[in-house]
Amino acid sequence: MSAAKFIAHTDVPAWLAELAASMRVIAPVTEGGNVLYREFDSATNGVELNRKPTESAKHVLFPRSEALFTFRKEPVPFAPDSLDPATEEDSPAPRMTLTQPEAPKPTVVFGMLCCDAGGVTTFDPVYGGRYQDPYYLQKREATVLIAKACNEPLKTCFCTWVGSDPANKRDADILATDFGNGLYLEALTERAERVLGSKLLQDAPANAEAKAEALHAAAREAIGEVPSLEGIDNTLTTLFDERDFWWSHSAPCLACGICTNLCPTCHCFTITDEKASGAGVRLRSWDTCMAALYTLEASGHNPRGQKAARLRNRVGHKFSYFLKNNNGRISCQGCGRCIKSCPSSVDIRRIVLDAMKKGCAVKEAANG
Amino acid sequence: MSVLIGKERRIIGFLCNWCSYGGADTAGVGRFTQPTDLRIIRVPCTGRINPLFVIKSLLGGADGVLVSGCHPRDCHYAEGNFYARRRLEMCKQLLPAVGIDSRRFEYTWVSASEGQRWQQVVTAFTEQIHALPPIPRIAESPDLGVLEQCG
Amino acid sequence: MSIQAQLRDAILKVLPDVECVIGWGPGPDPLRNAPLFMKTPDDVERFEAGPLSVSNLAVFLQEYKGNKVGIVVKGCDSRSVVQMLAEKLINREDVVIIGYPCEGVLDAAKIVTKLGLPQEALEAGMVAKLELEGESVTVTARGKTTELAIKDVTATKCSICRYPNAVLSDEFVGEKREGLEDSYGDVDKFLAMSEEERFRFWEKEMERCIRCYACRNACPLCVCKDHCVATSRDPHWLTQADSPRDKLFFQLIHATHLAGRCTGCGECARACPVNIPVGLFKRFMNRATEKLFSFQGGVDPEATPPLQTFKLEEPTIQERNWK
Repeated sequence: MSAAKFIAHTDVPAWLAELAASMRVIAPVTEGGNVLYREFDSATNGVELNRKPTESAKHVLFPRSEALFTFRKEPVPFAPDSLDPATEEDSPAPRMTLTQPEAPKPTVVFGMLCCDAGGVTTFDPVYGGRYQDPYYLQKREATVLIAKACNEPLKTCFCTWVGSDPANKRDADILATDFGNGLYLEALTERAERVLGSKLLQDAPANAEAKAEALHAAAREAIGEVPSLEGIDNTLTTLFDERDFWWSHSAPCLACGICTNLCPTCHCFTITDEKASGAGVRLRSWDTCMAALYTLEASGHNPRGQKAARLRNRVGHKFSYFLKNNNGRISCQGCGRCIKSCPSSVDIRRIVLDAMKKGCAVKEAANG
Repeated sequence: MSVLIGKERRIIGFLCNWCSYGGADTAGVGRFTQPTDLRIIRVPCTGRINPLFVIKSLLGGADGVLVSGCHPRDCHYAEGNFYARRRLEMCKQLLPAVGIDSRRFEYTWVSASEGQRWQQVVTAFTEQIHALPPIPRIAESPDLGVLEQCG
Repeated sequence: MSIQAQLRDAILKVLPDVECVIGWGPGPDPLRNAPLFMKTPDDVERFEAGPLSVSNLAVFLQEYKGNKVGIVVKGCDSRSVVQMLAEKLINREDVVIIGYPCEGVLDAAKIVTKLGLPQEALEAGMVAKLELEGESVTVTARGKTTELAIKDVTATKCSICRYPNAVLSDEFVGEKREGLEDSYGDVDKFLAMSEEERFRFWEKEMERCIRCYACRNACPLCVCKDHCVATSRDPHWLTQADSPRDKLFFQLIHATHLAGRCTGCGECARACPVNIPVGLFKRFMNRATEKLFSFQGGVDPEATPPLQTFKLEEPTIQERNWK
């Protein structure tokens, strides 16, 4: 686990091609002005490590839509006797065949952001805690996460506010730090061994650890001042019924699903059957609490009919409800995608900071 | 049927109940020879036809779509086909944006007594579709493969 | 007095009569403004109009139906308001329209490209400072300051804008600007690709669609919102599978539902987080609407949308001749 390696940038495509021989390799690539986590294609080699991916990498472990199983009604063989009502009891009952999806392929995600790796570890207690989700867990076990330490945070980044870090070592299997000429690879878990056997990897240069630490510190510095979010969970609970607070913050919200779909930690899904005559598939697909349908009840009543209530849920879940079940861990990873990609510029940081301010005022008023 | 496999194209016809469906029936009763590629779906009126019926058929693998209803001024519901004419023309204009040949979709008017015209329309349209290659198929999630198999 | 100051005055004037005035204020990064809902004179202090005020605020009017609100509009935004009035989606007496001559809005992607993407792997989020001065914009990123001409970095829709001034307003400040020509060059350019290329183009583009429906929700004329057929199970137009076919089909639902209504504000494409040029479908429809029905969405509040009416004879529609 203490193995530290180094790979020259020029060797990275060859290394990934080598891994791709036996594994599914996912890496950030540029497409149509976006950076997306896509299957590595050794023909194009276009790994993009300098720009931030538009989407998170959660779809590798939690596909936008996945088949839980397919079902098919087997045709009943034609038996003339079965047309006779007297012998109906003997006629074969229609049989239903269920087919499980294939086991996931060994996978490596190369060059993911640390906040995206953090997303994975917020998924873990949800899908691997009290309720064990085999679909997720099989993929999780088969996947090696290689995170790349962030060297240039964006204006919308705030990972340090929420207990993460541009170069955190808590979440991924390997942490890669860009030394300019290549990547310094630190193994963080047992899983790392699966991908560090290549001859293309050199031993880490002397002083690498200190050099990496300095780069990490610089990135941390670039995010700037870290406001205290101490007690944010209880603060948000206090503010739950502050109508004006939520209405004013949600006023510009379009109630689309950009924030939740790009979020590395949003993990809600819906289950639907897509079927044609006699066969079908049960799909699990992403859902979003920003949509009205998410909470629509069969009676027609919708407890979150207004977008204010939906925005409150998104913020509340990340900064309050999740904490209560997960030892105070904020589920938000501070990647800032929900701010960066929001067409209406809704800023979750502003909401949280405003809540802290407002919460203090409410408490003081209560204490008289 | 088996002799036609590979020779037929999938053509969907949306026919209004009051005129064109009757027209097709007249053609049948009159024993007019017609190509067999067309699968007819009867609708109350061309005004009932959502242009998305056409688009969904084409994206779903139909090689052609034919809509036929009562002649203008002859609609059973007085004005359904007037609205339909505008909608369907707009729909036809959208197809090139998707990369679908607009000749894959036609709309026309055939009355219940025009068996001969129906024969003419369906023959001409089927020939038109046969002159084009099979419609391109768009990628679909492999998860839906099971639906494809049961047709 | 600057347009900004005049607009602030106009807003302050209507503020007492309305629930709020919808305008723009500073956004989370220097490249864009955010919608601002002004209720007090203090809020008005934060108001900013100009090239950073990109979003079409007409999308919010539906939510205030029955309450009187003020709205600040660019030319394109005003067309959305007019179209909503024409369709009786909002009441004229419920909305106070404040218009100004728009000089075009900035396209963040174009700025970033001008600054050196992809060679320098720059992103919009790395821009530290942006200053507007007359016809130019000065952008600072990675410690480097670059001056760009505004006209080089405005949104594509602005270079073909026929209506830079509000087409309908209760209060108009500033000098009216000249409109530009739109000959649908983008549509022709796309048609220059072969049919197969166009089809495969969309297949590829739709692959990265994340089904967030921002294109729909950012559209001021998509009024079904929470009751959209796209997410309905009955009727069941779309499956939940992550399939380009379903995702493309949704775009065609959107385009057909906007046929003869779209005002070309471009918000659907701007909202897309993965830059799919979904506005192109509507451009095709808009060109057809103009050609067939001599109609442009959102120009006349008294006009009937062309698909909600008909003529006994349609001289502009060339029907197929079966002879």
